[in-house]
Amino acid sequence: MSYARLNSLLIVMIVTVALIWLAIPFTMAILWSLVDPAEPWTADKLLPPVMSFYRWVDMWENSSLKYALISSYSLAPTAAILGLCLAMPTAFALGRFNFAGRELAKLLCLLPLVVPPFITAIFFSALLFQLGLNTWRFGAIVFAHSILFLPYAIRILTVSFENVRQDHIDAARDLGASPWARFRVAYLPALKPGISATLLIVFIQSIEEFAIAFIIGSPDIVTIPTLLYSALGQDFVRPNAAVLSLILVVPNVFLMLILERLMRSANPALSSGKG
Amino acid sequence: MFKKLFTTAAALGAFMTPLHAGDLSTMSWDEIVAQAKEEGNLTWYVWYLQDDFRRAISSFEDEYGISVKIPDGDNAGNSQKMLAEKDRETGDIDVFAWGYDSFETVELKSLFNSLDKLPKDDGRVSKLAGVDGGDHVLAFWGNQSGIAYDPAKVSEADLPQSIDDFATFWTDHPNKFGFNYEKGGSGPSFYQNVLRNVAGVDFSNGEVSDARIAAVQPGFDFFNKHAANYIITASNVDNINRVSDKELWMAPAWEDHLAGLQNRGEVRKEIKFYIPEMGMNGGGNGVAIPKNAPHPAAAMVFVNWLTSPETQTMFNRDFGTAPMNAAADDSAALVPNEQRAFRQSWGKQPFRSKVEEAFIDNVILER
Amino acid sequence: MTMRNWIQIFALLMPGLGLILVLIGSVVYIAIAQSFGYYALLGESAFSTEFWSEVFSRKIFSRAVRYSIYIGFWSAVLSVALAYPLAIWLRKPFPGSIGLGALLKAPLLVHGLVAAFLYINVISYNGLLNQTMQGIGIWAEPRRLQNDSNAFGVLLLQVWKNMPFALLVLTGSVQGISDDVLDAARDLGAGPWARFRKIIAPLTMSGMQAAMVIIFIGALADFTFQTTVGPTNRQSMAQLMVSFKSRGDWHSAAVVGVSLMIIALLGSALLALLTRTVMRGSPR
Repeated sequence: MSYARLNSLLIVMIVTVALIWLAIPFTMAILWSLVDPAEPWTADKLLPPVMSFYRWVDMWENSSLKYALISSYSLAPTAAILGLCLAMPTAFALGRFNFAGRELAKLLCLLPLVVPPFITAIFFSALLFQLGLNTWRFGAIVFAHSILFLPYAIRILTVSFENVRQDHIDAARDLGASPWARFRVAYLPALKPGISATLLIVFIQSIEEFAIAFIIGSPDIVTIPTLLYSALGQDFVRPNAAVLSLILVVPNVFLMLILERLMRSANPALSSGKG
Repeated sequence: MFKKLFTTAAALGAFMTPLHAGDLSTMSWDEIVAQAKEEGNLTWYVWYLQDDFRRAISSFEDEYGISVKIPDGDNAGNSQKMLAEKDRETGDIDVFAWGYDSFETVELKSLFNSLDKLPKDDGRVSKLAGVDGGDHVLAFWGNQSGIAYDPAKVSEADLPQSIDDFATFWTDHPNKFGFNYEKGGSGPSFYQNVLRNVAGVDFSNGEVSDARIAAVQPGFDFFNKHAANYIITASNVDNINRVSDKELWMAPAWEDHLAGLQNRGEVRKEIKFYIPEMGMNGGGNGVAIPKNAPHPAAAMVFVNWLTSPETQTMFNRDFGTAPMNAAADDSAALVPNEQRAFRQSWGKQPFRSKVEEAFIDNVILER
Repeated sequence: MTMRNWIQIFALLMPGLGLILVLIGSVVYIAIAQSFGYYALLGESAFSTEFWSEVFSRKIFSRAVRYSIYIGFWSAVLSVALAYPLAIWLRKPFPGSIGLGALLKAPLLVHGLVAAFLYINVISYNGLLNQTMQGIGIWAEPRRLQNDSNAFGVLLLQVWKNMPFALLVLTGSVQGISDDVLDAARDLGAGPWARFRKIIAPLTMSGMQAAMVIIFIGALADFTFQTTVGPTNRQSMAQLMVSFKSRGDWHSAAVVGVSLMIIALLGSALLALLTRTVMRGSPR
């Protein structure tokens, strides 16, 4: 079988699996979001008995959804960029230098991930309150999120820095490139996938983080998880939760496609020369 | 920065002296109301039904001209916020609602303002679910656990009432009954009352001793004997969903929770609810005013309104709660009044926690 | 290394690792202190090892430890095992590969709680799966699949949620392999397996480690999936922690929390080591 045949067969296979993997849950979410309050959808019925856009309209008009969208979608990118900036130097050190204690340093970078969430939620927020950061709630959440999700950023970027090829750096230097030109030519191409992965991951983590954003932000700043947890909490209202998560998915998908494109553009430069 | 960090880290554990406590204690009620109107607004952290409460409080806003903000948030989030900001000079929370037995997990007088300046009203409830809220907590929401059932499968006459009835039901209809042992109190209310009936445990005594825990063993044996015939579910809401989805015929539930889910078109309206004669627990939610409340007077006036007979009558009518003021009218309840006689109180701590742990070790982990 | 190098490295580590150590380090310190009786949220604070001995003596704790490690380990291994071939396959762009990549990563965008409730819907007693199986005559009557005691539901959801993350990390890492090197190896007569073992495996090891470790930590501390679809006859460590906390027993909750932290760090180190051994690559 030729390579092309094999490839297209693989594509068909993966697309089928991915569709089952995704289509079932997403179709179910869409159906759930259309359940009319007049009659509940029980598991023995294939489709909801009464369908309408009532939940969508109600959610859009009567909840804090609009404010939540604005604050979540301005918090998350800011936290992602700040996280990226904070992680860069550490990842550079971990990825490019071989020093004693490097493995330990890598392990310690994971700390924010291993601290139990309720401890982080209560004591980290209390710490931020004590440092006086609460006067600017937006800034405090951005700061907290970028620290909290630094492990992802550092780990991913470290891998990228390791992928930068020494001969490219050397070549650039030998050709007399300035530090900035050297960075652009030798580092940036290898870093691009890592940068977009970092931005995406921190963005998604920040969009999903509930405890700290709530403790510091409430009652002035409402984020989407706050609404989601209200819908999914004690009175787990399944249709409302479905509406919320679908509303969340749409902008995220666009974002991911954009990032995916940015990521690809890095490739040709990498396979330098031979194309 | 280091020094500041470590001093603040050290200070986090210590309780700060209250700042607002002195202000209101010298005022008369009329002066408090006047100051409340001057404050003009307040924030009420309540962890459930926020949309409905936003509608319900409009009569308070009209009466006093004080606007009430009800932020979204769940139980864990609200309690974490309250604890995280307890050392701030001025917090964000004016009135804090919590499950009544949750108040027992903290030290009331160091966290909350005293409510003794409220106008005298003996009808209010501060002792509920085996917890004494003293001067600091008042109940505003009474609820009752019981059994949700599908009338298409079990007729009213066949409803199990005693523990023997339940054992018979399990044997006759294997795996049609399920209960949760955590994530919500309806299941725990069920198994604790079974334990009480089988082993004759006195839950009103909070003392812990090895002998008292050992005495519960016959109750555990009862559950283990029938283990193959009942289901362990994941949570309060899982119970109700599985009855609604026609998988289970009966499962423990909260009266107000079931009513709320039915009103929202989340589960079938046909599902009914009863309190078995063997007894199940009643409980509720209370409110308190944090020491660092930004609008302490408005908070006080709001608590007064919330616990008044008129408001409690309205809650009974609109939400099916048990009124938390003796002078309120409870004619609109979802359960016939004679069943209320089977209401039991939650067990006293720390005994109840020890029984819960022992139940998990001896019944749940043995499955 | 010279003094100057050390200063340089130290300065580079400051904004990242430095901030983590100062801010999160003090929170870790509080967690440890709390497990020994300090930072009481109610009542007296005093040093005590009683919480540790009490928690460690309970059967539920040792079970929770074993169970959480089981979930953490298999979630990491399965997610990475699925993502790895996909990442290699998607290394070179082909028509539709961008869309495919996005499709595979879509679960990242669905909140875990929502995924769990959709999953329950599919497998519930009268749900889609049971109806289908009965419809085509494989099962005679509905089966109870919810909260299965092997925690396959939890593992499935973990993989569903984490495979895309592994794919994201690994894609970055396989894209770093340049065609020159692979072509050179081919010219020297290396077969596909040799090319994989000698070039691809060592060069992607770091990305593999990162994905393994991060997924392991997340799944080890799982609360959401465990409490919705997990087996009801055992608890995860996070679940145990929350149940202590909700009874107001903050010190025991902290004991479980600190144990969780230790297991997460030790487990991460072991997993990283294991990954390296399996891939037989040498560190760069």
